[in-house]
Amino acid sequence: MKVSLLSRLLANYPYVAAFILFAIGIYGVIASSNLLRKLLGISIMESAIFLMFIASGNITGRGVPIVDAAKESVGYVNPLPQALILTGIVVGVSTTAFALALLVKLHKYYGTLDARIIYDKREADKH
Amino acid sequence: MIQENLPVLLVVTLLFTAYLLPIFTKRRPRIIELLVVTVECLILGGTLYLAGLIARQGRAPIIYPAGGWPAPWGIELSVGSLSILFLLMIAGVGLPVAIFATDGITWQLRSRQRVAWFFTLYLLLAAALAGLAVTNDLFNVYVFVEVATISCCALVAAKDDPLAIKAAFRYLLLATVGSGFIFAGIGLIYLVTGNLDMTFAFTELSQRAYTYPHVVRLAISFFVIGFGTKAALFPLHLWLPDAHSAALTPASAILSGLAVKGYIIALAKILYIIVGPALLQALSIDRILLLMGMVAIVAGSLLALAQDELKRRLAYSTVAQVGYIFLGLGLMNTTGLAGALFYAASHAIIKACLFLAAGAIISRTGKERVSQMAGVGREMPITMGIFTICSFALMGLPLLSGFIGKWNLLRGSIQAGSFLASLVIILGSLLCAGYLLPVIRTAYFVPAGTTTTKETSFLQISSMLILTVFVIVLGIAPGPLWNLAWQAARDLLGG
Repeated sequence: MKVSLLSRLLANYPYVAAFILFAIGIYGVIASSNLLRKLLGISIMESAIFLMFIASGNITGRGVPIVDAAKESVGYVNPLPQALILTGIVVGVSTTAFALALLVKLHKYYGTLDARIIYDKREADKH
Repeated sequence: MIQENLPVLLVVTLLFTAYLLPIFTKRRPRIIELLVVTVECLILGGTLYLAGLIARQGRAPIIYPAGGWPAPWGIELSVGSLSILFLLMIAGVGLPVAIFATDGITWQLRSRQRVAWFFTLYLLLAAALAGLAVTNDLFNVYVFVEVATISCCALVAAKDDPLAIKAAFRYLLLATVGSGFIFAGIGLIYLVTGNLDMTFAFTELSQRAYTYPHVVRLAISFFVIGFGTKAALFPLHLWLPDAHSAALTPASAILSGLAVKGYIIALAKILYIIVGPALLQALSIDRILLLMGMVAIVAGSLLALAQDELKRRLAYSTVAQVGYIFLGLGLMNTTGLAGALFYAASHAIIKACLFLAAGAIISRTGKERVSQMAGVGREMPITMGIFTICSFALMGLPLLSGFIGKWNLLRGSIQAGSFLASLVIILGSLLCAGYLLPVIRTAYFVPAGTTTTKETSFLQISSMLILTVFVIVLGIAPGPLWNLAWQAARDLLGG
């Protein structure tokens, strides 16, 4: 039972890697009080999902997805996940860009990117 | 040609106009405002036309294959009763809020040029929400959710002060984590079913779900966490009070009224169309939704009671009202689900109007806290009157729209045999009276020396009056909208 679980994990290594990356990303968002590092955590998390999608398109032994009568018998890998992830990457980049713009503003207003110091400053402003 | 392509044109018109607006940055803001109001009117007209079309063909949804490629190869739009209900919400709330925004937004943004960009974001958000309403494709859902998220955060950040920027960043952080979960959930569904079209994914999933029960359960929990974060379901609501209270008044109204509902509608589509009611019950997802809804109602209301800032109190109240909708999603009967959908529409109108009234009061009198409200009843009689009517509607008093939704949620919970849910629905109403009545009492009955009239402008009053008329009309004659909600609930529950 244990051996079969291990061999199944090894056979599906991209998904295992994706899962680990996802967990690392979430940990980064929660554990660090630096806002830039939180943003990095989110990017890592997104990469994990990209990896999972891309891996699902790969079918071992199949050819490039260009229609060709000679290769018909071999079959093709699934090109759709790659097309989707291209969109996903664009979305990810725009989110990151917008977040960075906000970070620049935050640094201008508070002089720091540490969430705890910003929180303290805001509490001090209230009183 | 226009008639055939109307489903996609609704989204495209909004998107196109959104990107057209920045051209007019150097012109008078009046042109931009006119354009925005015209587009919102067009969307309202288009939606009403589609509603008529669907009613004539026996309430069957209109299927629109984008680019002429049928599903599962192409992307498919599907306009059913649920889409119509949500499109009506977008246009019906979006139009009055846009009218409200035309007055004073230039002053609030401190620069003429930024007016165009503000309305670009406003229309982008509307476009993304309209996209969520009509799409039948999972990956489309992800893209529209992202567009909505970024425009929401940018709307908060449009008020360029330290508080709003901090709130916007926090919102963006949590919302992006939410998107990550949604995206992962979509990936898992794609791995199991090999389809992104909702209808085809359902057929595949109903056959394979029992082979991979853990993957399906993981996917559903990812969806609930992801959309829950974006819709501010109770323990995941942390971003909402800051973001909704720090934003500009029209932005708060549209965020609290519409944006939050968009994510709930998307979640409802995914849960009911892809996973299906039978599987939801087999995996006991319905019990979890019911429980989370109940917790959100009680916790959100109690937190609202503790706030002294008016806008924060309204923001926490949104957390509680979102709980009602989640509770309705978990009831699994037509009455309860239709009640939840009607309640979502009614809350969109009421909360938008409450935020507009609160914003008008704050900008005219400078009174931000509930404890300072003394005399507002005499200073701004019309605005405060509107605030009072909408407060009563939110509590669920009869003859106002909130009552119809709450009453049917109550009936649904009794049908589902959940005594606790019925109790929480009533308790939520009482707590709602507990946090809104003090505002009204202070405004009218606490003496405040000499007061002068500081009533807000004609445009702002008329936009709030439109929303109030909706609230009253839907309370007295809920018929058409209720039928729509009922039909949408029947579509979702499958017969």
